[in-house]
Amino acid sequence: MFLRLAPLALSCAVLTGGLIATYPTGAAGPAYAAPASAAHAPVRQVPGAREATSVTRAPATPCNAPYRIDRTLPNGARWQLCWEMRTVEGLALTKIVYTPRNGRATAVLRSTALAQIHVPYDKGEPRYHDIGALGHAAVPLRAADCPLGERREQFVCVTTRARGHAYLKSVPEEQSISAQGTDLVVFAAFQVGWYTYLAEWAFSDDGAITPRVGATGSLSGFTTTPQYGWPIGVGARSFEASHTHNIFWRLDFDVAGRADDVVEQYDFTGSGTTKRRIKRTTFTREAKAVSEPMRWWRVVDRRVHNTDRHRVSWEINNSDSDRYRGPADEAFTRADVYVTDYRSCERLASVNPSPRCADSVDRYVNGERLTDPVLWVNVGYHHVARDEDADPMPTHWQGFRITPRDVTARNPR
Amino acid sequence: MGRRLVMLALAGAGVAAVAGAVLFVPGEQGSQAAGAVPRTPAPEDPLTSQEVARATAIASAGSRAHMAAGRIELLYVERDDDKDAPVRRRADAYLYDYGTDRLIVRTVDLGRGRVVRETVTRGVQPPPSTAAETTAAELLLAHRQYGKGVRDAFAKAGGGRLGSAAELGLRGLIFTPTGEDGPARRCGVHRCLRLFVRLPDGTWLDTSRIVVDLSAKKIHTLEW
Repeated sequence: MFLRLAPLALSCAVLTGGLIATYPTGAAGPAYAAPASAAHAPVRQVPGAREATSVTRAPATPCNAPYRIDRTLPNGARWQLCWEMRTVEGLALTKIVYTPRNGRATAVLRSTALAQIHVPYDKGEPRYHDIGALGHAAVPLRAADCPLGERREQFVCVTTRARGHAYLKSVPEEQSISAQGTDLVVFAAFQVGWYTYLAEWAFSDDGAITPRVGATGSLSGFTTTPQYGWPIGVGARSFEASHTHNIFWRLDFDVAGRADDVVEQYDFTGSGTTKRRIKRTTFTREAKAVSEPMRWWRVVDRRVHNTDRHRVSWEINNSDSDRYRGPADEAFTRADVYVTDYRSCERLASVNPSPRCADSVDRYVNGERLTDPVLWVNVGYHHVARDEDADPMPTHWQGFRITPRDVTARNPR
Repeated sequence: MGRRLVMLALAGAGVAAVAGAVLFVPGEQGSQAAGAVPRTPAPEDPLTSQEVARATAIASAGSRAHMAAGRIELLYVERDDDKDAPVRRRADAYLYDYGTDRLIVRTVDLGRGRVVRETVTRGVQPPPSTAAETTAAELLLAHRQYGKGVRDAFAKAGGGRLGSAAELGLRGLIFTPTGEDGPARRCGVHRCLRLFVRLPDGTWLDTSRIVVDLSAKKIHTLEW
């Protein structure tokens, strides 16, 4: 028999109605043993809402060692996920589950991976799509490349890292209340031509996720005329060509399971006025969105609530992009966030390698009603070389933030 | 990057027996090839090397003659991650037919041991395999002007006399034409690569205007 079901892990994960991944408090070690505070009391039933706390049966473990990552951070927050080095996308993370301290586990993402690194040069050419077979381009990591962590099959680093102050609050006549935060970090490095790309996901102990890519290695050495570059080396004879890295991530959110996920966009109207009125736009069909000052999005589950009876959601901010807009035949560069309905063959934002689907993310958006939204986030970084970039080139980073919004009823510190 | 010899396991029901046959499979399957310890994989685990070999055998069964002749190339095998699929382990085998310039994707149900879906398309180009990168480098070296340029640069970079393409560090990306007027326009249908070539001193050649047309077995120079 080639395929056998793994025995059910009766003591840990559960499925509620096959849709909500929840974990019983106290079932996963000391971090869960403390009694729930009032803020984490069982959910009061909202009409039509799914019960998020009941415990029924356990699913099979989604992945085995060494592909399993299960880390409880010092403040008690726990992240569970699987990784895979895929041929095209490189490092892919699947079945991402977050458990706040003293809280219940909640599924966040079914999968996430890089979806393109588009590199157009300011002089017009060349224009690269750097995701080829990233899985073939993974760089073996040395122990020093994975400080305080563990390497998985030599290409993936799983480690923890300080993230500075989680909070600091002064209290009159007493010591301040403060804590240092920690990230679980998962990353791999890929060599694509001159560049080495560091693809990294940081999972914070406050529930935030920070996907980012660092570009290092070497400058391409492409030279150009002064209007399209910056002089590198002695004098002003050789101008290194300026270029942009337009990096796309694909994020298949399954918030508390696949069902009932909705994407909302938030704006705050008013300019030159004293007031800012909140404006919510719900995407019912596939959409393209551009970033604006103060604009953000969230993926919200319509039927799962925290103990304050607020809908559980994950917020996406993409305000740090250089917002490159290419010519008509690169229409995939003309939005910062795309929302599409799930299709397995929609994998890359451009030069999609799968038949049965369109070639690029702008064409995935074709009016379908959203039932299982997938988000595509596009972050651009315009690189104008400087003398310090040679050589090796210092890492320049680009990325965005995903933060829990009402996953817990209060700071789960 | 090298290539890996994979001894095909005896295929299961519905698959031609290929005992003793040896196929070239693209080398780095990432973690897929590294899972050498036999065990029952969990749903999200990468394909084990045994699963890759089994999927390769099943997906190649109908194309063996063309593969032996070099007309059809197995690009790679990867785990099918479709969450709409029934819960069972599946693999997608990507094959390219240079004779007709068509991509063939065969989805293999590893439990049942057979192909459950085949898609044939033109104009969709998955990334090159390591074998295709080597073929592209051989075409580059066979080019009168560029071949000499590569050999001279290789020697200048401390590599001495270049024996074969395998001595070069190679990385290929699919080239898709966008408004080109020259012969590279054919790359809309042909399978074409841009090739990065790394020299022994760690530097890279400027190959940004060179396109290797694997379908036509020609080199195109971009005019810009």
